[in-house]
Amino acid sequence: MYSLSISTSGKYISVAIHDDKLISSSSVLSENGTTNLLMKSIDEITKKSRIEKSDINVVYLDIGPGYYTSLRIGLAVAQGVCGSLGIPLVPVNGLDALAFAAHTGHRKICTIIDIKREEYAFCLYKPVPGGVVRDSKPEVLNAENLKIKLEEDNDKKLVVGDWHSLNENLIGENSYIKFGSPEHVSSENIFNIGKELFKNKDYPNFNEVRLEYMREPDVSFSTKSLEGKVNFHD
Amino acid sequence: MLDNQIILGFETSCDETAIAILKGDELLVNTISSQVDIHEKFGGVVPEVASRAHAEMIRNIFHSSLNSANLQISDIDIVSTTDGPGLVGSLVVGYNFAKSVAWSIGKPFLTVDHMVGHLAAPLIENRTMKPPFMTLLVSGGHTQIVLVEEWGNYQLLGTTIDDAAGEAFDKLSRFCGFGFPGGPAIQKIGKGGDPTKIDLPRPKTKHEYNYSFSGLKTAATNFLNNLDSEDKVTRSDFAASYQEAIVDSLLSNFVKAVEDTGVKSISGGGGVMANSRLREKMNIFAEKKDLNIYLPTPKLSTDNAAMICVAAQNNLITNDINTDDVRLSSIIV
Ligand SMILES: [Zn+2]
Repeated sequence: MYSLSISTSGKYISVAIHDDKLISSSSVLSENGTTNLLMKSIDEITKKSRIEKSDINVVYLDIGPGYYTSLRIGLAVAQGVCGSLGIPLVPVNGLDALAFAAHTGHRKICTIIDIKREEYAFCLYKPVPGGVVRDSKPEVLNAENLKIKLEEDNDKKLVVGDWHSLNENLIGENSYIKFGSPEHVSSENIFNIGKELFKNKDYPNFNEVRLEYMREPDVSFSTKSLEGKVNFHD
Repeated sequence: MLDNQIILGFETSCDETAIAILKGDELLVNTISSQVDIHEKFGGVVPEVASRAHAEMIRNIFHSSLNSANLQISDIDIVSTTDGPGLVGSLVVGYNFAKSVAWSIGKPFLTVDHMVGHLAAPLIENRTMKPPFMTLLVSGGHTQIVLVEEWGNYQLLGTTIDDAAGEAFDKLSRFCGFGFPGGPAIQKIGKGGDPTKIDLPRPKTKHEYNYSFSGLKTAATNFLNNLDSEDKVTRSDFAASYQEAIVDSLLSNFVKAVEDTGVKSISGGGGVMANSRLREKMNIFAEKKDLNIYLPTPKLSTDNAAMICVAAQNNLITNDINTDDVRLSSIIV
């Protein structure tokens, strides 16, 4: 029983093969325009793990939030693999994966994922025995509103995820806000949640897996503005 | 010559999620899931909307294509896809899906230039087509006259210096509120209209085979802006006249290129090649000059994956020259 875990939501293309523990993993910095790194990485770690493709029984996928194109590359590859091998695809929310991986005894966990255009996906969690539970709905915030959100009460908080990409001066470290790791979603974070969802059969049908864009697509033009007033005879 | 290898092909360069399966010379499946309904309300293809739709539709189209061909995934011998040019966000979905399928089943992965796919498309139905031939590739993204001296040797003789022919249709159709995509909308509204009713320019460019449609577009919009209902110009007369101007422009440079080079065979492709007036005039020209003509049927003129399969089958592939990733430009230059 082997699993393939994939995370492409941010700056890293991260993949891992596990049985019940890690067999092999890889994390490479994704540069713009290199859509091919994911398949390369998967091919490499599969070979390194000395397993057959047909030995992979399940794929755990980071479905976002994050960079749209990278997420779609992850989804396309995961769908191609699962569709061809006839194995389940288990979607994992990246915010959940970050929170689950953040170890804290008493602090609330604030997860932040950069979704570009100076906006961030944000969700608040509280630690419970054996894990974390969401304490807010995931939402999209700009840096200013993120600051307001973090400072709105004096609850002790641990901030994880893409806080490095925030302006340093914006949110200063103080006694009730700490910044920690993980600093980005990794395939191992995805595995840790994915395996629980898989064990509990808590995942959708293959064709119901959707990415967490958290924003409607940009539509820069509409038909109306380009329509003229024409006096046709009819 | 043709063996019976089963080729699975993907095409997602714009707003159609297309998958085809070709076995020898038998096209088993040619699935095209158009996003026209989605993009219609915007009056054009919105790239982010297109790539979201590809990412959600491709898995279902993949399964339904295998089912309707009555095949198992293990029956596939070769996986092919277009690697560009097109909308990057759309291309990466089909490219990565195809690549992961090929990897999963351990079969060769062949990439095909989208434009080479168009010029190979007539082969699907007519195996006798062979170079040298002159082809006219026209769609919303491209307007090209290409001399195919032999397979792999493509000379771009003419191209548009501004809008593609399909865009010229789209823009005016949008302006008139005729609908999207503009080509089919204008063809439909223009049916029965008088194509000589309105005198629109046939734009010329400095380079004899190049196209320009912005002058025609401006002339047509000016005409419409100054139109009085007393002028008694009907929608269908205008649509027919505008279509005629585009078709005449397309034909005149193409005819010149064919006559100058003396090739004996002509062909065409791209979405605009589905236009019945353009097809009619291409056929008339071929008949008058006694040329072989290979026009793909309208369904194989617009973007489809069968053309990717047939190009891969004939080894018209780009794997060796590209960087193993999607590309923005065509190998036809
Ligand atoms: Zn095309």
